[in-house]
Amino acid sequence: MVENKKNKKVYKKGFNLIETYPVKFSETIVFVKHNGQVDSFNFAFPDKKVEHIIVNLCPTEPWALPNLAILRNRTHDFLNKLETVRAEYFPDSHCHVVVSHQETTLVNELNQYKASANSPPTFANGEYLHLHTMEPVYPYDAPVLIVKNILGLDIAFGQNTTEQGILLLDPQNVIGIFEYYIKKNEFNTRLIPISGTGLKDNKILKVKPGTPVKRMLELYVRTDIKYRVFLDGLLNGTEVKDLTQKIDWSTKNIVVIEERDYKTLFPYTRVNELLFTTSLMGELRRCVYCNFCDDICPVNLEPALYWHCYIRGEKQKARTYALEKCIECGLCSFICPSKLELLHVIKECKLASFGR
Amino acid sequence: MKKTIKDIKTILNENLNRIEGFIHSHPKVNFLFGALFEATDGLIRSTKDTAKNPPFIRSSMDVKQYMGAILAALFFGWVLPAIYFYGFMCVVPRLIVSFVVGVFVVDLIWVILAREERINEGGFVTCLFIPAFLPPQAPLWLIGVGAGISILFRNILGGVGHNLVNPALFGRLMLTICFPTMVVSGWQVPSTGIPTIESLMYGVDAVTHATPLITFKETGETASFLSLMFGVNTGSLGETCRIALIITGIWLCVKRIANWRIPVAYLGSVFILSAIFSLMLGETMAPPIFQLLSGGLIFAAFFMATDPITTTYSQAGKWIFGIGCGLITVVIRDFTQMPEGIMYAILLMNLLSVPIQTILLKVKYR
Repeated sequence: MVENKKNKKVYKKGFNLIETYPVKFSETIVFVKHNGQVDSFNFAFPDKKVEHIIVNLCPTEPWALPNLAILRNRTHDFLNKLETVRAEYFPDSHCHVVVSHQETTLVNELNQYKASANSPPTFANGEYLHLHTMEPVYPYDAPVLIVKNILGLDIAFGQNTTEQGILLLDPQNVIGIFEYYIKKNEFNTRLIPISGTGLKDNKILKVKPGTPVKRMLELYVRTDIKYRVFLDGLLNGTEVKDLTQKIDWSTKNIVVIEERDYKTLFPYTRVNELLFTTSLMGELRRCVYCNFCDDICPVNLEPALYWHCYIRGEKQKARTYALEKCIECGLCSFICPSKLELLHVIKECKLASFGR
Repeated sequence: MKKTIKDIKTILNENLNRIEGFIHSHPKVNFLFGALFEATDGLIRSTKDTAKNPPFIRSSMDVKQYMGAILAALFFGWVLPAIYFYGFMCVVPRLIVSFVVGVFVVDLIWVILAREERINEGGFVTCLFIPAFLPPQAPLWLIGVGAGISILFRNILGGVGHNLVNPALFGRLMLTICFPTMVVSGWQVPSTGIPTIESLMYGVDAVTHATPLITFKETGETASFLSLMFGVNTGSLGETCRIALIITGIWLCVKRIANWRIPVAYLGSVFILSAIFSLMLGETMAPPIFQLLSGGLIFAAFFMATDPITTTYSQAGKWIFGIGCGLITVVIRDFTQMPEGIMYAILLMNLLSVPIQTILLKVKYR
């Protein structure tokens, strides 16, 4: 019964990618040696006063860095660091920690910490720290949605959240700021998870930013197949065309998946084999009004309307259908049974309508 | 066993690759048969297209599976019950004629002439519809003509994603106009009870009887609801066994292939409107549950009206579409000489769905 309930929620306003594409990382963290030039850690502190800090410990994509690698069973340590950073650089700000509601031990630890924390003078006991639970459904950790769900504030897609006094902090950056700016230690490594069907094994790598992608992957890629490499996830990430490209401090993860550019016999019986490859899994058709895209859209848009505008050659007209609300999560293209390039169409329409 | 299957698969794959290479290296052969090869190959193998724009992984659901699920639902919904009621030799020749004329004549000629790249699998669905809403004793050539008109019509409009009205119903409309007596006669009495080999093969003797709706129009008698539910009354080939149609229809709704709003709105509005009319006007109007369970209403609500492209895109529009269908159906059944009005209701609302969509968009995005 529980299984059924989960599957029902899968398609409504978001997609549970973690259930669909389970990715298991091996537990050991591997250090990648690199002797070339290394970027030093640098965090751009916002000019405006920060009122809310949001730290997201709930990855919604299976290929994202798992919490375990950051916390390493020392949640209190991490929260102490967070509190030190907050008190030092963003005084009087509220701190919101978002965790998945399935991780009960983590929630308990956070509650314990909250109860025992020494409160700074401006706040009552532990009140600066707020705990939020969230379902790990893609794309609920997108800036627009996370700010809306936690603070109830509306921000536009692509807007810099620091203008509203909201700072979205990457957990790794918390540790970075603590070590580099407060402890004045050397901090030059970053955890990058690599995963996908193009690899022999899913690993978490400890890399110095500035290392080329090729250097990171060369020990792990499968040599018997064609593969493609993507940065920052498969749904709205970018493809790495040139493998000598260097990773930087904003890189979140690397996914390598198999390139299926040949025909497969009887695809209906071999769906699992085709999953997690670049295959389109079907033929391009016209829109059949199946309503999959507006069921799955996390911000209640009707993506097929943009496609109708696009196919009629009226790209500018797409703005009449609340185009500016789109957060470009890519779920509409992902689910479309006619394999329409809806995300590409939306980007083109945005370019024609708003000039960006 | 597994190994032999694997061997056969590799041989098949290699041969298909060889044929593909041959066709692409000979321009004249490619001009004539390239499209035909692509079309049949598309039914056996997946495409070699890969994602060029983000997102780089895609869901495994495609239009082929979408139509395949409808085909499976139709098979269990009406083909199997019809074989039980009317016999193998009644159902299967009709299906064969429908498919041969529909897919392998009209569609193949269309693929070669119009140089379409593929056979639209939506055509199979249309071909399965045609025998379902004709009487069990309709002549075979009538089914062939119906299938030909329907598939030709859907190809002229452009196939999947271009249909203005449900092509199967359009074919049925043409048959009603051209052969008005043939589509409303020959309602064979189904065989009931424990089936024998003979009844499964040939059905019982060709006794005909008017359908419950016609009987009601003439004498005012209603059949028992249980008999209507399990399909022991006369009716078109595919519409009588309502319980199977309801089960498969609900399965389609759960799979999100048929939108649940349309059957709910259609059946609900028929029930409410006929209840209102029979309360206001008394015995001459058909009672609500009899209305729901007679004629092709269940079949149409779950399979015809939910044909995705001919309804509106917006979800609110689907409610209006369903309610409109229900209103027209009840009005035709209750106030005109015709016993059945589902075909006209769905065709009219198919045409009206375009303005409904436009108006709803104007209201939603002011």
